[in-house]
Amino acid sequence: MKKSVNRQIAAVHLTSRIGQTIVAVLGVTFGVSMYIFMNSFMNGVNKAQDDMAFSSMSHIRIFNENSVRSYNPVEGFLPSTQTIFTIRNHKVMQYTDGIKNTLEIISFLEKQPEVTGIASQLNFNVFFRSGSKKISGLLSGVEVINEDKLFDNSSKVISGKWMDLNYQKSGIILGCVLAENLGVKVNDNINILTSDGISKNFVVTGIIETSVKQVDKTKAWLNISSARQLLTKNQDYVSDILINIKDKENTEPFLSKITPVVPYQIESWQVASQQLVAMTKIRNILAIAVSLTILFVAGFGIYNIMTMTINEKIKEIAILKATGFSGHDITVIFLSQAAIIGFIGSVVGVVLGYGISTLVNQVPFEIAGLSTLPIYYRYQDLTLSIAFGIATTLVAGFLPARKASKIDPVIIIRG
Amino acid sequence: MENLSLKAKNIIKYFYDPDTFQVLKGVSFDVKKGEFLSIIGKSGSGKSTLLYVLSTMDTDYEGSMEINGDLLTGKTQNQLATFRNEHIGFVFQFHYLLPEFTSIQNVMLPALKLGKYSAQEIEHKAYENLRLLDLEDQALKRANKLSGGQQQRVAIARALINNPSIIMGDEPTGNLDSKNSKAVLEIFKELAANYGQTIICVTHDNDFARSTDRIIEMQDGLVLDGYHRLV
Repeated sequence: MKKSVNRQIAAVHLTSRIGQTIVAVLGVTFGVSMYIFMNSFMNGVNKAQDDMAFSSMSHIRIFNENSVRSYNPVEGFLPSTQTIFTIRNHKVMQYTDGIKNTLEIISFLEKQPEVTGIASQLNFNVFFRSGSKKISGLLSGVEVINEDKLFDNSSKVISGKWMDLNYQKSGIILGCVLAENLGVKVNDNINILTSDGISKNFVVTGIIETSVKQVDKTKAWLNISSARQLLTKNQDYVSDILINIKDKENTEPFLSKITPVVPYQIESWQVASQQLVAMTKIRNILAIAVSLTILFVAGFGIYNIMTMTINEKIKEIAILKATGFSGHDITVIFLSQAAIIGFIGSVVGVVLGYGISTLVNQVPFEIAGLSTLPIYYRYQDLTLSIAFGIATTLVAGFLPARKASKIDPVIIIRG
Repeated sequence: MENLSLKAKNIIKYFYDPDTFQVLKGVSFDVKKGEFLSIIGKSGSGKSTLLYVLSTMDTDYEGSMEINGDLLTGKTQNQLATFRNEHIGFVFQFHYLLPEFTSIQNVMLPALKLGKYSAQEIEHKAYENLRLLDLEDQALKRANKLSGGQQQRVAIARALINNPSIIMGDEPTGNLDSKNSKAVLEIFKELAANYGQTIICVTHDNDFARSTDRIIEMQDGLVLDGYHRLV
């Protein structure tokens, strides 16, 4: 009963000054909608960047680092540092490169429940030759089907077919800029020269356009068995094993699980491209900073309006107190007004924010594989924005409401 | 003792702003139940200040004060608010209704706050009070659309809603023409006589004061000796 009379008074206050109420509601609406827009936009940008990055990068990569192991044969015999010696024309010893026991590793990885895809690669640098043109670049021997599962290459092939690599062992797919620079089209021949001096002709079965310029300019794909042949390696030999897992943000536990079993270097995408992680984080901080600033300003607006309202109603508050309303009742009356403003403002703000985001999503933006400005909604942003909207109004309403509750009726009634 | 409505004992009050000044210098008196009392005195005699102390709104005083045998001195603001809600009705000089509410809402609010009866019962009682004061047809009008006399009568209807044992008026007729003043006076007299409600009014209006049961005259913060009647 008591509560309902306080609510009734709050309702009359809100409706009798509808203009002021609307201004306060709009303040919250604006803050909340900007919060949603900023976050959806930043999420969209992050997602677009991720999509781009993960079109050629896996979540986890296993490789054998080509490290130089220097061995000093003299040191063993003459441990004393007093002796001066020189070794001329010191050669690096032969070391194991590439991954040898591939089948064993892959069958272990396939048993892990987190894994969603595995693909082996054999990457090496070669010269692409066509007529008088000679361009150095990267040749990637791939498991055609697995590679497609991981990176969806078949959708990026602009002429020819990705799957042809599977059947045509002498086939090769070139990046579009590379093909242009070599002056070749599908079904033309090109010559590959390896660093070991082996040369072989291939038929161009397709041309691919990734959105990454560097890749389009220097990279070509062929079947992994042809690649092994080119390098005169056995059927178990790969240079990289690429793994995708279910939750790419959470690579740490998986890494610590496989590290003891796999005797090679293992690298997560977070380590491999730290700038990607950094940019994502910076954009998120930016989005939160901007939207919280807007909410803060909106909160100030509400604080102002509430303070003004309370100054105008100081006499009425005194009357309420004289006729038996306690300080607590007064706080409830004004705080519930703030809560209602916050709630309505937030709900309208969510709708408006969704509208603005949808509109921005229509704006053309044709750079790097995008067609419009990217927007990506997350439900947690919607709930958070409502929570922030209501919290801001409550905080902004609390100080004036408390001030109102402390008004001494005598001073006002005495006049 | 049982017949006492209000008992004030040696009330002393100071104003500190701008200078320390003793407004009430030890005021003591009793009011019987059902008595219609008026407090008169020149401006600055302390009569309004005394009323605010008696009304429980001003707690910054020395001495003690009881209403219906309850010692009110020393209680917290919120306890006093609850007490006022149930036991004291106010009629102020400048009516002081809530302008955004209708007459009937203004009358109902203290009862809704008390929460003793259902909203329907309260509304019924509020209509009755308005009828008593001849305001039935103004019930749904906003308070700021009423004339001064009507507003003052709505304020009286509000003061009566919780059947308070004491009604306090601060110049209840100070803002009214003679016709309306007379009406208010009649209402107060009837309440005291027929319903046994104690009424304490501060007034400048000697005609009004003469019609009451008893007059207390204040001068320089003291009650003048003897309850002398103005003739």
